Amino acid sequence: MSENPTSSQVAEVAIIGAGPSGLTAATRLTKAGLKPVVFDLNAAPGGQVYRQVESPQADLRVTGIDYRLGQRVVEAFRRARVDYRPDSRVWWVQRVDAGFELGVLHEGRSAVWRARRLILCHGAMERPFPFPGWQLPGVMTAGAAQILLKQGGLLPEDAPILVGSGPLIYLLGWQYLQAGHPPTCILDLTPRLQWRLPLRQPGKAWHARGYLFKGLKMMLALKRAGVAIERDIEALEAIGDKVLEQIRYRQRGHWKQRPASLLLSHVGVMPETHLTRSLGLTHRWHAEQQSFLPVRDDTLSADENLWVVGDGAAIGGAVNAMREGTLSALEVIASYHGLTKKERHERDGLRRERARDLCARQLLDAMFLPSLNIDAMPEETIICRCEALTRGDLDQAISDGAEGPNQLKAFTRCGMGPCQGRQCSLNATLLLSRRLAQTPDQIGQWQIRPPVQTITLGELATSSMVENRVT
Amino acid sequence: MFRRLPETASDSAEVTLWVDGEPQQVGATLSVAAALLQQRGWAEYRLHHDGTPRAPLCMMGVCHDCLITIDGEPNRQGCLVIVKDGMRIETQMPAAQPTPGASTG
Amino acid sequence: MRQDFFIVGGGVVGMAIAYGLARAGQGVTVLDADDTAFRASRGNAGLTWVQGKGVGMPSYAEISLDSVQAWPSFALELQQRTGLELEYEQRGGVDLCLDEEEAHARRTEYRELQAQSERLRRDFHWEYLDREQLLPFLPGLGERVAGGTWSPHDGHCNPLYLLRALHAACRRLGVDIRQATPVENLARTESGFRATLRESHVEAERCIVAAGLGAKRLAPQLGLSGDVFPLRGQMLITERMPRVEQLPTPQIRQTATGGYLIGDTHERVGHDKGVTLPMLQTLADKAVRIFPFLRSTRLVRAWAALRVMTPDGYPLYERSLTHPGAYNVNCHSGITLAAFHADGLAQAILDDRIHTHFSQFSGARFHVPSTP
Repeated sequence: MSENPTSSQVAEVAIIGAGPSGLTAATRLTKAGLKPVVFDLNAAPGGQVYRQVESPQADLRVTGIDYRLGQRVVEAFRRARVDYRPDSRVWWVQRVDAGFELGVLHEGRSAVWRARRLILCHGAMERPFPFPGWQLPGVMTAGAAQILLKQGGLLPEDAPILVGSGPLIYLLGWQYLQAGHPPTCILDLTPRLQWRLPLRQPGKAWHARGYLFKGLKMMLALKRAGVAIERDIEALEAIGDKVLEQIRYRQRGHWKQRPASLLLSHVGVMPETHLTRSLGLTHRWHAEQQSFLPVRDDTLSADENLWVVGDGAAIGGAVNAMREGTLSALEVIASYHGLTKKERHERDGLRRERARDLCARQLLDAMFLPSLNIDAMPEETIICRCEALTRGDLDQAISDGAEGPNQLKAFTRCGMGPCQGRQCSLNATLLLSRRLAQTPDQIGQWQIRPPVQTITLGELATSSMVENRVT
Repeated sequence: MFRRLPETASDSAEVTLWVDGEPQQVGATLSVAAALLQQRGWAEYRLHHDGTPRAPLCMMGVCHDCLITIDGEPNRQGCLVIVKDGMRIETQMPAAQPTPGASTG
Repeated sequence: MRQDFFIVGGGVVGMAIAYGLARAGQGVTVLDADDTAFRASRGNAGLTWVQGKGVGMPSYAEISLDSVQAWPSFALELQQRTGLELEYEQRGGVDLCLDEEEAHARRTEYRELQAQSERLRRDFHWEYLDREQLLPFLPGLGERVAGGTWSPHDGHCNPLYLLRALHAACRRLGVDIRQATPVENLARTESGFRATLRESHVEAERCIVAAGLGAKRLAPQLGLSGDVFPLRGQMLITERMPRVEQLPTPQIRQTATGGYLIGDTHERVGHDKGVTLPMLQTLADKAVRIFPFLRSTRLVRAWAALRVMTPDGYPLYERSLTHPGAYNVNCHSGITLAAFHADGLAQAILDDRIHTHFSQFSGARFHVPSTP
């Protein structure tokens, strides 16, 4: 579509994201003599999991041993001297011929890049967890709290309440405990039955033993420190005038109330599908991960010259993301000049480890499967935070004839705010799925429109793209 | 409010941030949103267009609830911008007003 | 019980006619496409607009004028029936001229249009205003804008909410709306018409093809004109900005929720719904040229929709010569004309007098030299 392709900058391989998968992919490609270009939204390498790993703001005793693995990966990446572009927002991605066109915004200027091959390593986001009052200041995600801990060694002044399901809740609670500031309580939303899954699936439990023991250790430490762990929570509300003041929750049929200044919530992570959807890739509903995943083949490729790896493709954790990053690099190398015997060996070994790890992952997915019925949330629960639309608003539009996600968006503005639907898209689809009695796959998700990251009109109008094009 | 872990408070570089005209010393590694959460907490961070107060939710560029005016530019994602010495921050209470007449100059 | 009408197409055009017929007591079934349909209403800027309409065909300007005059009561009635706010306003509008050349051409066009019609000389009001004169209506207007034509008839609404309100109103009036029901073919039966669907069929005494681009395939099956092609329009919308007292323009307007809608592109690129980088930049350039204060405003979404175009750009209203009882309705300006479609046109279809009252709009004009 561009009239003058020679005017844009060219990358042999473009990598979006400098988390575990992007770092290993870039490092491995460079080792093979290729010259990848890495674009990352953040100012420093590491992604969300290894944020601030180069100049830690919190003691490793607090953040946990896994952080060291991140340091090694970042060091290897630095040593490889990759063309690395931090603070770069890829706001535009489009397939052009056999390659890709990227619009990259850096320090208020946008440039066009062409890449023959693209590896998407953009990572995951926390699953949006709507409940009445979740828009109140004082309600944040557990992931956000962890970012504050990593980025600046920041802890809540007053002990927070943690609520949700999944390992991150216990990890964060444990980290706060290590720092000497444990949470007041943990409201665990995981259905009690699911805790017994490892006993029923001993094979998978064996592969997952590392994760399970770590989780158990943290849980016991929290209990010993006197942190109340409440289970069988069936409903939750955040209450306050201008900030959070109280939480209410229903436990085994009884409503309880607690004063609260900070509520940190988390119900698992899911791939951030904005990029993969904007590229028009096929996505399928994955019941165990309760999310839409881009469809990939055995080589982690989702389309010609396009690989999607790490938690942006399917949740597998940081170690799996590193393997997938290296695997995608090997596939790219193979597409240039085949693999040597040694490289084939490396690939096969990584594939085996990945398969084993993903087997354990299935158990973890099932254990922490959130039991969230969006249609059972009170009518006043905000689903689209940007447009302040409630579950009731969406239901009204469905009864007016919104037959699918695109029409629902058009009828209500759901997903039309600045977050571009990242916080509401999945829940809109799940609500339609319940109301129209169709599967999430049948309902699908609404179309993603560019820009994939916001850009100002001025940046778009006076970008270097314009200068490139006229030369 | 958030506060800094005691053992890191001493050994980290700091910058001066101007928040609604007031100087604040903050850690150099923080994002604008993180600095605000440390210095002022989540109360009166931002007023949403529906008139309700909002504050950062995700801190990783997804939710856009951390919008804030940075060096005169309204509605920037505070969680994605790392603080710089001398940076001017204005909280959006109420929402930032455009000045169409003024910029025709 | 067999319906009086079935309508192929649940977009703004089909739903406005369905609404008009249902209000008149007719039994109507609407056969709508699925959630991924092209939906020209999504590419519409939401203008209820007379300016620029009917240059070369004054009768088109006349029905546009009829329609915008009917719009206030049409909007009010829809809002009362459904409780939905259409964000409709008619406070006049300005079609901007970026340079003097454009300004000159515009004035010449409008004068020629009025020279062809007594009605338009009398009822179509407009005035050319230079930048200084426009400033009170468009605060912040950039210096590199020459001026524009102002007309009191022009206004705007939210086209998506219009579609929703028509759906909601039709449901309340008992219209049978079948969603995700693509029509495979259309045929006459002994006493009416049949639409064959994937696994069943629908029959009615009369039928209306309001299928937008789908008319290309379906309309000829009933002796109707399928002369339509897609015209791609790319649009940008910014984040919400505090509301400013200003008039809408086809180039840019602030919506009721505060976002600036930037559009007005027309490309013949087949069924490609893609957005292109050069066009986004062109639109952004134009937006900051018109309103320099938008320079630091964030773009939230860019999209393209396929609008429906006839060979001459004017609406297509016709009754089938070979299959009386079958009608074809297709046009580019489904929002402006919605009030007319729901009222005058629906009534003309009901009374079976489209071919006498709106003969100029028949598809025959594409095949037969028109009489002066």
